[in-house]
Amino acid sequence: MNAIDRALPVACGRLDREGRLIDAEPRLAELNQRAGGEPGAPLAVPQIATLARLAQRLGIAISRNVVAADGDDDLDLWIRAEPEEGGVRLEVSGWRQRPAWRATASEFEREGDFFRSAADWLWETDASLRITFLSIEAGDRYGFDSSTMLGQPLTRLFRLEQDESGNLPILDAVAAQAQFDGQKAEIRGTGRMARLAATPRSDPGGRFAGFVGATHMLEAPLPPEPGPDAPLPAPAAAFGGFPDSFSQRLDRALRGPLGKIIANADSISAQLDGPLKPDYAEYASDIANAGRHLLGLVEDLVDLQAIEREDFAISLEPLDLADVARRASGLLGVRAAQSEVRIDKPALDETLPATGEFRRALQVLVNLIGNAVRYSPPEAMVWIRLERDGDKACVIVADQGKGIALEDQARIFEKFGRVDDSEPGGSGLGLYIARRLARAMGGDLTVDSAPGMGARFVFSLPWRG
Amino acid sequence: MSDNPVDINPGANGGATPLLASATAAETRVPRGLAVAIDDFFLPDEARLDERTRIALAQLLRALIDTIEADIREQGAQLLSSRGESRLAASVLRTEVGVFERLFLSGLLRDSALMAELMARVRQDAITVALPMNAPEDPRRPSLVNRFVQDPDRALASGAMAVLVAESRRRGGPDVAQLTYTDLPAELHHRLVWWVSAALRERIGDVADGALPVLDRALSDAAQRSLAAYDEGGRLEAAAMRFAAAIDAPAGELPQLLVEALGDRRIVLFIALFAHALGVGYPLAREIVLDSADDRLWLALRALDLGRETIAHIGFALCEADPRRDVERFADRLDSIVAIPVEDARAAIAPLRLDSDYRAAMLALAGTRAVA
Repeated sequence: MNAIDRALPVACGRLDREGRLIDAEPRLAELNQRAGGEPGAPLAVPQIATLARLAQRLGIAISRNVVAADGDDDLDLWIRAEPEEGGVRLEVSGWRQRPAWRATASEFEREGDFFRSAADWLWETDASLRITFLSIEAGDRYGFDSSTMLGQPLTRLFRLEQDESGNLPILDAVAAQAQFDGQKAEIRGTGRMARLAATPRSDPGGRFAGFVGATHMLEAPLPPEPGPDAPLPAPAAAFGGFPDSFSQRLDRALRGPLGKIIANADSISAQLDGPLKPDYAEYASDIANAGRHLLGLVEDLVDLQAIEREDFAISLEPLDLADVARRASGLLGVRAAQSEVRIDKPALDETLPATGEFRRALQVLVNLIGNAVRYSPPEAMVWIRLERDGDKACVIVADQGKGIALEDQARIFEKFGRVDDSEPGGSGLGLYIARRLARAMGGDLTVDSAPGMGARFVFSLPWRG
Repeated sequence: MSDNPVDINPGANGGATPLLASATAAETRVPRGLAVAIDDFFLPDEARLDERTRIALAQLLRALIDTIEADIREQGAQLLSSRGESRLAASVLRTEVGVFERLFLSGLLRDSALMAELMARVRQDAITVALPMNAPEDPRRPSLVNRFVQDPDRALASGAMAVLVAESRRRGGPDVAQLTYTDLPAELHHRLVWWVSAALRERIGDVADGALPVLDRALSDAAQRSLAAYDEGGRLEAAAMRFAAAIDAPAGELPQLLVEALGDRRIVLFIALFAHALGVGYPLAREIVLDSADDRLWLALRALDLGRETIAHIGFALCEADPRRDVERFADRLDSIVAIPVEDARAAIAPLRLDSDYRAAMLALAGTRAVA
């Protein structure tokens, strides 16, 4: 449970100078009674009694957040003790049950650490929602002046947007002293959109003391504000529930480091800086290959995220599928030679006019021919044939591998649908992406194969007569 | 994959001598290790670094050195490539091994001024996050510094702003290991910059192939640039002291300001207000406030003529934030603290107001009297 249950009111009580309970509101009286105390006797909840005594000795009102046992449960309480004429006045709020196994750091703090670690930049406010802290470099990066925003209301920095139900998540969170996530906002004057998330901070008396917040930048600028009558646009479907910026961040965060790892491992493996023991050179080549595999996976995930968006668009252009197939074969020539596989590519004078997007068609064919090379035994051949089938232009990629059983043929086009998980390489996304791309271009991708007979993939695009 | 370093050993012949040497060394190393453990065990608890402080100190030190190193490498590589030394520039940029370990093991960092500053900073940070916050009765009332940002007096408003900027910069972004700025006193920053440059020279010198003079010039120019760009006045402590001076709190307002600064978790501002009121420098005020065993704090608060309630608030907040302080013991002593006449307290802390170098010289001299 995140929200502090405001429905439970503050329970007040009074102690005399000797710490004996004079009177208390029911909730506090009952807690004291369950702990073995009674009116007229010393308060039996030790944490509260300690604070009350301390307040009296110091002569000031003090507060503390304590955990007190209540039967089998632990209660999270905010205690405020204030000395008054003839004793101490107590205000006890919070009254949240706390699972006994919970670590000492508060739930808010831990969750806060988690979401903050993934944020682009951070901010904090006081109780009046004025900014007390900002990641100072954010201003330079996103086009505002950090220094003039400090001390200003949060709304000076962000233009907050209502959610689908017309509420501002941040205001609901203030009212409930709860966490919020998914407050959309524009950084004023920059046109840049962000998602805000924050955790409330309380003082030990349980009063709201401000937010500890995180900003996640949304990369794509949002469409202009619809008029009051315009229907709300359907939210773009995000892959696996991740926001769009996730895959962009993934791409940014992984591509560079992986590239570095691969390049360095390659240069170790090539022994550029002098001779190495052979098994070390081999380890380096393993590292480079594993890096390439990861890089491929990152690229697949980024692609996947792109094609699963509802506004994914292909720009159709006239292309020559024979030319695309030849280029794809050329790109895989080195890999094929390493695996001792020959690619029988279309002759230079063959043409097959079709409509599609060149770059995407190339991606599909590289995937198909790459798979064929990977699953071919040494000395085998991969055939690439061109065919016109009515209004369809088809490229057929056939191999001499172990083939795909009928019952697996649907599965290979599913997301992460791999036939044999023990097989090296591949993310299980390639064919899924390839078929989505083929269909987005008005074509298709199909397979026919039998175990032991090799696989035959047919990639078709609309024929251009 | 093997991570066994024995693999790269050339063989039995090459390994025997170092092995014998290491076995011989063990004879002296083992008793020395024991001696260190014994010393560690008998250290009084008050004098020992607790584990949190130790870890935070290590992180801070590493972050500072890494930050300076990245800066010098970048500046150095730029200089080298603009001088047509692209190969050397690439070696300067190669970041495989940082200089932290080298400096850490060198003993150079056992510098008392540097360590005093870093330990104080780590303690200050630990207290900041542990201070009990105090939310206002009226949730619309902005926190202390934020109110001053709106002040019509420009000196106050810009002073408050400078504190907020400096504190935001000190705390950095989501990546805690990355600093944008060392935020150290200039003298310590200078020292670290030259140490890092020298360590880089040692590291890169091996591959410089006779271009050592070129490398030396580039590294020293890079260090100079880094030093020239450093502004000590932008430090959080400096900004807080300027702000405290701009406020120049009258005696009637000081108690409220002090208590509210603590309730907003602005320990640096609290120390600055305290230092300004007392007429001492920030480092001394910080020492007095942060050292849990230092009774000069209570004397100083009395010298400022603070009443029982204010001292109780300050003491309670510091006890809650610092596990080394005992709130019950503080409550025991509160009455005797308040009983100190203001004039006596002022007389007792008067030496603190003297020039810090003068005081250091007096202390140093006092230390030698026994020897003479």
